[in-house]
Amino acid sequence: MSNTHDEQRTPVAITTATADDPHMQPLARNPERTERIIALMMLVGLVGFIGFGIAYWYNADAWVYGATIGAGAVFLGVGITAWGKYLMPKGPFVEERHDMAGTAEEREAFAAAVVQRGGGVLGRRKLLLGTAGAGLGVFGAVSLFPLIRSLGPLPGKTLTETDWKKGSYLVDQTGRPIKTSDIAVGGVVTVFPKGYQDTENGQAVDQTILIRLSTVDLTTRKGRENWSPAGYVAYSKLCTHLGCPVGLYEQQLQLLVCPCHQSMFNVADGGYPTFGPAPRPLPQLPLYVDGRGYLRARAGFDQPVGPGYWERS
Amino acid sequence: MTTTASIRRLVLPVLVLIVAVLSGLVMFTGGSSGAADTTTTTPVIAADTVDQANAQALISPAPTAKHKVATAPASPKAAYQTSVANAGTPNSSVKVYRNGSLVSYGNRDITYWAPNKELIPLGEALYQQNCASCHGNNADGVPPNQTPGAYPNLRGLGPATIDFWIESGRMPAANPREVQAVRKTPRLTHDQALAVVAYVNSLSPATPYIPRVNRLASADTSSGFALFALNCAACHTITGGGDALAANTYAPSLRNIPATQVAEAIRTGPGNMPRFTGNLTDAQLRSVVGYVTINIQHPVDPGGIGLGGLGPVAEGFIALILGVGVLALIGFWIGDRT
Amino acid sequence: MTTTASTPSSKETKKEAFGPVGKILGELDDRLGVAKGGRSLMDKIFPDHWSFMLGEIALYSFVILLATGVFLTLFYVPSQTIVVYHGSYAPLRGQHVTQAFASSIDLSFEVRCGMLMRQMHHWACDIFVGAIVIHMARVFFTGAFRKPRELNYTIGVILLILAIGNGFVGYSLPDDLVSGTGLRIAFSITESVPVVGSYLAFFLFGGNFPGTAIIPRFFIIHVLIIPLIILGLVSAHLFLLVRQKHTQFPGKGRTEKNVVGAPMIPVFAAKATGFLFIVMGVTALLGALAQINPIWLFGPYDASRISYAVQPDWYMGWLDGALRIWPAWQLQAFGHNIPLEVFLPAAVLPGVVFGICLAWPALERVVTKDNAIHNLLDFPRNRPRRTAAGAVMLSFLMMLFIASSTDVLANYFKISLNLMLWSMRILVFLIPIITYPIALLICKELQNSPEGGKRKRANVVLRSAEGAYTTVQAESRPGDGHEELAAEPVPTFIDLDEDDGAESADGGVRRVER
Repeated sequence: MSNTHDEQRTPVAITTATADDPHMQPLARNPERTERIIALMMLVGLVGFIGFGIAYWYNADAWVYGATIGAGAVFLGVGITAWGKYLMPKGPFVEERHDMAGTAEEREAFAAAVVQRGGGVLGRRKLLLGTAGAGLGVFGAVSLFPLIRSLGPLPGKTLTETDWKKGSYLVDQTGRPIKTSDIAVGGVVTVFPKGYQDTENGQAVDQTILIRLSTVDLTTRKGRENWSPAGYVAYSKLCTHLGCPVGLYEQQLQLLVCPCHQSMFNVADGGYPTFGPAPRPLPQLPLYVDGRGYLRARAGFDQPVGPGYWERS
Repeated sequence: MTTTASIRRLVLPVLVLIVAVLSGLVMFTGGSSGAADTTTTTPVIAADTVDQANAQALISPAPTAKHKVATAPASPKAAYQTSVANAGTPNSSVKVYRNGSLVSYGNRDITYWAPNKELIPLGEALYQQNCASCHGNNADGVPPNQTPGAYPNLRGLGPATIDFWIESGRMPAANPREVQAVRKTPRLTHDQALAVVAYVNSLSPATPYIPRVNRLASADTSSGFALFALNCAACHTITGGGDALAANTYAPSLRNIPATQVAEAIRTGPGNMPRFTGNLTDAQLRSVVGYVTINIQHPVDPGGIGLGGLGPVAEGFIALILGVGVLALIGFWIGDRT
Repeated sequence: MTTTASTPSSKETKKEAFGPVGKILGELDDRLGVAKGGRSLMDKIFPDHWSFMLGEIALYSFVILLATGVFLTLFYVPSQTIVVYHGSYAPLRGQHVTQAFASSIDLSFEVRCGMLMRQMHHWACDIFVGAIVIHMARVFFTGAFRKPRELNYTIGVILLILAIGNGFVGYSLPDDLVSGTGLRIAFSITESVPVVGSYLAFFLFGGNFPGTAIIPRFFIIHVLIIPLIILGLVSAHLFLLVRQKHTQFPGKGRTEKNVVGAPMIPVFAAKATGFLFIVMGVTALLGALAQINPIWLFGPYDASRISYAVQPDWYMGWLDGALRIWPAWQLQAFGHNIPLEVFLPAAVLPGVVFGICLAWPALERVVTKDNAIHNLLDFPRNRPRRTAAGAVMLSFLMMLFIASSTDVLANYFKISLNLMLWSMRILVFLIPIITYPIALLICKELQNSPEGGKRKRANVVLRSAEGAYTTVQAESRPGDGHEELAAEPVPTFIDLDEDDGAESADGGVRRVER
């Protein structure tokens, strides 16, 4: 019995070949010359590795390390490969594929073991099977709870709201509030609500782009008549496609182009997309000018900023 | 092969083609959102539909205001005024007068200067030769016998603007109808350019003057890098290589531009580039110009050949062709071919 | 008939003949029983065809990734805590950056050989995924995924998905401007999944974007979780390969029931070791001479900064291309929003593509009704419809990859960006459609010319002194052994005594059978 197993798994033939068997001959036509060439390559490889050591010792430029060890490894590798290909017995050699599958009897025996011994045992105690199965199933389910729920907070207000409120000063990245006289027509600056560094959202969600158009270029939408004092318009800088900062402003075309996937938003007309994959306009921040000439927000954004998600209504 | 068999061969590809065309129609007539209610949108003009009237529309779009917005009147001079705290204008700088006119103003970081008034007669002659055919005899954008507003009005733009366009070679334009004038070898020498600047500025004097960045070699490239990343990289890319923008416009490469032109472009906002005035102090301008001329134009490439700074797509090509390709070829040598 | 092994006297002579090594092997056999299995392993035959080496490129790249990766973990700090950079790269000095970024910059500039290790690691990753793709293409086009190898094929496709995922996670670790933008996009894609998207995104990132948890989490995913899974699957992949034996092309002496090629020891081991060093050398040369991912030029990630001409690494490029050319669809109904322009290209499309890859063995079995065991490969030309289908898939993915560089192409060729985008929207469908009939045609043509694509033995024309021309075939070249000799089993004993050659009739192979 054990012999048949062995015969199927290992080659039983123990053979002998003479040294001048054609299968044992090297492939190279001139083995001595080939050996010398391969030895030379290995030597070059060795020199390369030594070169790496020296370069390392003397703290050479970064590229020298890789060039020496790389060239060395290539030559050594080519040498070893050439040894295997040209100087070792060329073959070809053959090996039998024995059927991996067992005989029909063995397959029946295996199936019997699984179905009768395994399945039969389980099938006889259906109550135990049911309760154990339910236990394992519930174990599997609840053991996923820590792996998923413990990872982070539920999406809450930060998903829908920014830190912009009525009266927020528009400040640039250094925290300096913007006055209406600061920016020329055709200028652009990234702004945040004052105090954004101390909020949970921070600049990632609050970032807003402030653009000054000439007043004759401005087209206002219904209900936004007083949102753009002195030609200033402010839009959320988060692209409504995938949230990249829409920093690319073309002042003559009056387009904000998102650098990631080239969605284009018309700045003079409510930030509506005119091209590209973004589906919704950039939310616009209503502005007003206070008594001292500072630009401030009339209110927060009227819709969630950034890309879409299931709960966005 | 019989005719029926050859026709049968085409059935599958034709079916696939029909399905593709139908799905294409379904997909692309869905259209993008933004159906306007009571507004108009600025048209995105494709290159081949640009004509003279539309060329003007690109430069200053036609007024489409539906509702009046109460603001301070926007005169060309007021458009360049910045607040006291910020530089770029004479308001906050040390001023130098000669014969009653402002010759230069500036500070430790940037000195803004205007060309000598004695150049004006030469400038007028050069202007009439090179520029008047498009920009008009009075530099008001009305060419001889052509429609008003066909070409930009050059009055009241300030020396920096005129100098930028001429010394970068963009003007005189090789093709006045193209969407964006291309940088090329300047047709006027430096002194000739200054003469034209002096003349055009004399017609309607304005600021900003031509910026000269002082002590450029010791500029703070660190804060320049931060400012560049926030303000410039979105169009010009973080390595300064430039890239294509909407409707055949493009942000040019920054790798071969003299410091003065970098400063001029930032302060004047040529073409589609935004204008950075009150939101960038002269000290910040100096750091940005320093970063561009030192690091963008002479990048550190310690990792080897820079691959043009094109990013992961170029790296992917190299990995696939030089990496996998060469290794597969070596495998071709190692293995058999039967 | 006796075996040489069971005769005590000959056993002892043999032991003496093999000296101390033989004694050690004998001791090992006493403890582990390795004599029979060890010899069968050493005699294992590996077919020699060059296209079978493509998977090895992937395997060796993975080894390089592990080795260089261990070095990198000794220096990289997976933390988003803000520090002030004080290193040797002047434009970053004094800037507030995350520790992840600062440690990556220090690794590149301050650590000796650090730049080489970082670049080798990144190049090896690009080559790893490329080699997997080209290996998978070879498996597909030659039909090696058929019974009994469907499981191995499935493991391979999962390895591809894991490799792509690990690559993305890995290049996001330095927290630079380019990869950070990719993280923002990943957050939005996660968010776009209907019903559970915002929960998934908040759980993965530990809050809203960017948070401070994502880099440390990605670090552990990249260094521990995915590599462990990959190691396990690669081991299973190789075990199945050894157990089922490699497939081979049909040819002289090759049947469904044998394997013809070179034995593991010494030939295959030599070639494999050599190739390992060659792959390592090429990767090191690339790491030394070609700059990749210069994070010091990009600067640290800041949520309000963005660069133009930003792309993901090449194996994610097809997804970026799909995102760019997709129309601006969204579904807004009943108080809920499904961003189709994100969800479809970024989640559904890869699901469909990998789903087709995984389902292909079953699909082909259903269509061809072929449930037989196949150990011989197909020549791609002999299965024109499968080859054409594969070509269509590859051309589709390639068009999507090209679509991810619309802005760079528009800039280079001075075309309008808008025109470029519309062209890509059309070409993404047009090119695969015309690929199918073209591939079919090429296959049929090659089928009709039996000599097509094969290297032929040259004819050498000789001119004698009298002026007569004779033609002789050129000398045989390396690799022609398959054409000339019949395959023999690997000999166990090599008789170095040269007298025996003259005595046997069959060329000196003396068989001793059990």
